[in-house]
Amino acid sequence: MNVKETLRTAEKYLAERLPVEKMNYASMVQKKEVPVHPLSWGYYMGGLAMFFFMVQIATGLMLLFYYQPTVSDAHASVEYITEQVPAGALVRNVHAWASSLMIGSVLVHLLTAFAMKAFDKPREMTWVTGVLLLGITFAFGFTGYLLPWHQIAVNATKIGLQTIEEVGGYLPGAMAEWPRIAKEIIQGEASVGQATLSRFFALHVIILPLAIFGVLGFHLVSVQLHGMCKGVDEKPRRMEKFFPTFLLKDLRVWGVAFMLLFILGVCLPFESLFAYPLFEPFDPKGSTPDGIKPEWYFFWVYYPLELLPLWVILLGTTLLAVVLLATPWIFKNTNRKTLRLLAIAAGIYLLVMTLFGDNIYHLFKG
Amino acid sequence: MRSNPFTAGSTALVVLAVVAGTARAYPEFQKSISQTSGRLVNCAMCHMHSDGPEGTAPGQIGHLAAAEQVEFARARLAFEPNANVKSPILNRFGNHIINSLGKKQLLEIKAMELSVMTRELANRLPKDSDLDGDGISDVQELLAGTHPLIKSDGRPWLLFKANLAANLVQIVLMLAATVLGLWGLHHLLHGFDVATCANDDDDDDDETET
Repeated sequence: MNVKETLRTAEKYLAERLPVEKMNYASMVQKKEVPVHPLSWGYYMGGLAMFFFMVQIATGLMLLFYYQPTVSDAHASVEYITEQVPAGALVRNVHAWASSLMIGSVLVHLLTAFAMKAFDKPREMTWVTGVLLLGITFAFGFTGYLLPWHQIAVNATKIGLQTIEEVGGYLPGAMAEWPRIAKEIIQGEASVGQATLSRFFALHVIILPLAIFGVLGFHLVSVQLHGMCKGVDEKPRRMEKFFPTFLLKDLRVWGVAFMLLFILGVCLPFESLFAYPLFEPFDPKGSTPDGIKPEWYFFWVYYPLELLPLWVILLGTTLLAVVLLATPWIFKNTNRKTLRLLAIAAGIYLLVMTLFGDNIYHLFKG
Repeated sequence: MRSNPFTAGSTALVVLAVVAGTARAYPEFQKSISQTSGRLVNCAMCHMHSDGPEGTAPGQIGHLAAAEQVEFARARLAFEPNANVKSPILNRFGNHIINSLGKKQLLEIKAMELSVMTRELANRLPKDSDLDGDGISDVQELLAGTHPLIKSDGRPWLLFKANLAANLVQIVLMLAATVLGLWGLHHLLHGFDVATCANDDDDDDDETET
């Protein structure tokens, strides 16, 4: 195959994945239809994740007015927001709840998209960008966790960064140094301190938002160009118009999500789910307090990490990342029934580890 | 030379306090509250500093200014209830305990078994006091091992119920605003859809006539 042919094949491949001729109001809005079937609820999960992301942007911008990203003032500024700024407690609580709800809806979106075989040709790029968005969302969670600079935040970040360094022990030759270098770049100094906070702050409020805007933009355009996937093997009950029928239903789901978020924001402080002393300002001279854990959305990897050797978890997570990115090609010929079973199994694992991870840990470790 | 009566009085108080016993923390209470509630608790539940009163950090004995030492000494001598003291090493809840019970009762409770100390303390404290105004009484917070001075700390279900009752009007108003907003959007989008469909029909008619 000569260069010209290779280019032509690449052009054909891209033209199929990005049909820019459909980039008009009629194709993307007026004529777009959504299949109605028992799994239709899965179509709302992506929109829901985007709704929570928009809430994050709005509340995050409000918090930026008062938050101070310095080790001496970070915790005090968060306390000031909570106790002195009008509606500060509500805004901060909504930000905390929306981050968890966003990650929850992104995970459900991933599982439903997998079960519906939404990665099938020509939607491979939509899937890959979705997986990248999942990674960015987790990175948002990890970097945001450190910002209040309390005991649990700093100590959990220390443990997370330490784990990165330990990966070097399993890599050959010069590669063994890479995780340590990566950790030092992220950490910025010998221990978690001002440089780390500055870097996490920059990542959380500038770098990751820019990355997510780019990838999310591509993901959304791709979804609109290809329309909704069929979702099920059998014939859909009927087709409904995207505009305004589906969009209105989507907005109603957003309305319910908004009310849920508002009630949680007003009535249930996110911090009440943790023991108080963990939320005290970080004391660099103090010992690591009991009860240090990452956020709940890392429990699926945290508890296995506590129970199994690091190399098992490394192998597992690397395989998972490869399988997720290569899903459109690995499961190309798998039927939807099998995909649904796999998605249910993954969902059960995530639920069990999140809700009962602690019990399982104590069952094995005593 | 005449001595300043305030300085003389203060010195007497400090000396009396020192004679009455050296200042020390009561870690038994911390252990008992943790045991009763099953939660992590540190000295900051009653003290200004999370490591307790001994030390030189702000809120600890070694950091007290002269005027604070006088207040501290006065608090250490508050053996009976209602002494209205404000010890600089104690937070509002710690001072609330001293003012409600007096040190004599507190020492009685301290001498009890760890398993009964917290309940006994809760029994003797005023039931209706809620220092942080989160809707959960200080006594309930003590038994639950949550901080009586932090609004966001409390048993989640109790906090949820208390906040729901306190903010019901705002929630109903927000619900009404959301429903009305969605109703308005519904009509707006339908109207837009009808208008664009009508335009398309007109265009089709024009093309047919041509």
